[in-house]
Amino acid sequence: MTDITRSGFRAKSKFGKTGGKAVQYILIAIALFWTLAPIYWMLSTSFKSELEATRLDPTLFPEAPTIANYVGLAGSSMPFFQFFLNSVLSCLLAAIVAVIIAVPAAYALSRAKFRAANSVGYIILVVRMFPMVVLLAPLYLVLLNTGLLNTLFGLVVGYTTFGLPFAVWMLKGFIDAVPIEIEEAARVDGYPRWQVLLRIVIPLIYPGLITTGIFVLMEAWNNLIYPLTFITDINKQTLPAALVLTFTGQFKTDWGGMMAAATITTLPLMVAFFAVQRSMVRGLTAGSVTGT
Amino acid sequence: MSAKLNTRSSRSLRGKIPFLDWMVIPTLIVLFLIVGYPVVSTAILSFQEYNLLKPNPPEWIGIDNYSDMYADRVFWVALTNTLIYTFGTVFVSALIGLGLALILENMTGRFSSWINAIVVIPWAVPFVVVAFLFRFMYMQNGGIVNEVLMDVGILSQPAPWLNSSDLALPAIIVANVWATTPFFFLVVAAALSGIPDAVLESARVDRAGIWSTLWHIKLPFLRTPLVIGSLLMVIANFNDFAKVWVMTQGGPGYSSTTLVVYVYRMAFENFDLGYASAIGIIWLILLLGTAALYIRLLLVRSS
Repeated sequence: MTDITRSGFRAKSKFGKTGGKAVQYILIAIALFWTLAPIYWMLSTSFKSELEATRLDPTLFPEAPTIANYVGLAGSSMPFFQFFLNSVLSCLLAAIVAVIIAVPAAYALSRAKFRAANSVGYIILVVRMFPMVVLLAPLYLVLLNTGLLNTLFGLVVGYTTFGLPFAVWMLKGFIDAVPIEIEEAARVDGYPRWQVLLRIVIPLIYPGLITTGIFVLMEAWNNLIYPLTFITDINKQTLPAALVLTFTGQFKTDWGGMMAAATITTLPLMVAFFAVQRSMVRGLTAGSVTGT
Repeated sequence: MSAKLNTRSSRSLRGKIPFLDWMVIPTLIVLFLIVGYPVVSTAILSFQEYNLLKPNPPEWIGIDNYSDMYADRVFWVALTNTLIYTFGTVFVSALIGLGLALILENMTGRFSSWINAIVVIPWAVPFVVVAFLFRFMYMQNGGIVNEVLMDVGILSQPAPWLNSSDLALPAIIVANVWATTPFFFLVVAAALSGIPDAVLESARVDRAGIWSTLWHIKLPFLRTPLVIGSLLMVIANFNDFAKVWVMTQGGPGYSSTTLVVYVYRMAFENFDLGYASAIGIIWLILLLGTAALYIRLLLVRSS
């Protein structure tokens, strides 16, 4: 395909070709600058002293690079490692719970041997689009009454409201790609359906399970409104929510420390993202984009 | 979608088809408990006067919350802001993402895969970090945005970005566009690579220029993915809380208050659960309209 698009340039005059290339490179340079400048600024600031970070004439490179901001996070009065752990645990648990509950539902919807299949599919799709804030007050009361407020399980309940419907649709996409003939052979051998799912389908879609789990984890990691509402004990707080809460205190002027904390918050998500980037589009649009 | 479901089921079906498959029951039960039940209680709360700060128990007041909403200036401001924020973000980032994908499609050589990996990085930055990062860059005194704009002569004095009721919402939209563009880039790039080679080959044989190839051949293939991607992002941005909350908390005044911020404030700062629920229900209806549109598009697409 690249060849063909290039020939679009080739059809033009010599000048048009080089001119087109030049415009293309300029636009790419702008895109790279637009993308990377904020990231660079975050990293650069995180290595500056508190004084240098908020100077009225900002320095492009840290004049005296220091890792004090990162060391400071470890020794701060705020338990940042605990926040990090809370985030990792609650998001990981939410991802596992969502995938485990979603697998049989996705399988049933993919094979669709029941009359309500379409309705159930739509219901799950619509739930995926629900505004979380509508659920907030009633969920808060439920967690209050069940004693789950201020617990990681309470957060997992919150994350499941968007993680589960998302996982069902994404997994359905992966299971759709498994040829039904493979299962039929196993059915002939007399395996019950749940064993076919367990022994045949799940091993085949194993990468899909991981991808789906990571997507749920990323969405949960990004979530701010549930931890802000369901967690009032600062020691149980997640990393993103803790950034918001501590900013009013500790980081009020300490932008270097803030940017170091922001960098730490970004790293796990960045790693997760590049692990699943290829399945990204299919996952987000539930198979509607690439026509699978 | 229904077409696909039917071909699957008609192939090996013998005898009676059950109404429900037990395998979907765990999902349905969980969703009923943590989504269905809360939505119903929100709907009930929306007809009640229920304030956690007041000692009196919930009291039925009919549609008073809804008529209050109609008269509430801030509600309409928040609704307008939400629409501006959502559609502004989606429109601009779809446009940039489309352009970027088209530019990079021509790229070959050693660096092209690097460039492709770099331009999607903002998608992997947590919303809270995006918000703090831009808040830092938008600082009036010593913020890098003002510094750069003054150095190149676009501004003569520092602009009060997030502290100005005119600039705050557009400034948040710019930050959001930065974070959202990679999504559209990925969607368009995937759609571009899905165009059959034969179609492009025939365009080449006809000696079609790049613009007419783009307009007549590629855009028809991109339309549906772009529409579906846009709807998804409309829904996501309608619900976006972190960026606005961290950057301005909806201020100055109510100039950048979106519905989600307003509902959150009503419920968890004023503890007026009845009124917050009424706003939530209206919002839900708006979103369901969008969701219905999305599902219809999916159906058209698959049949």
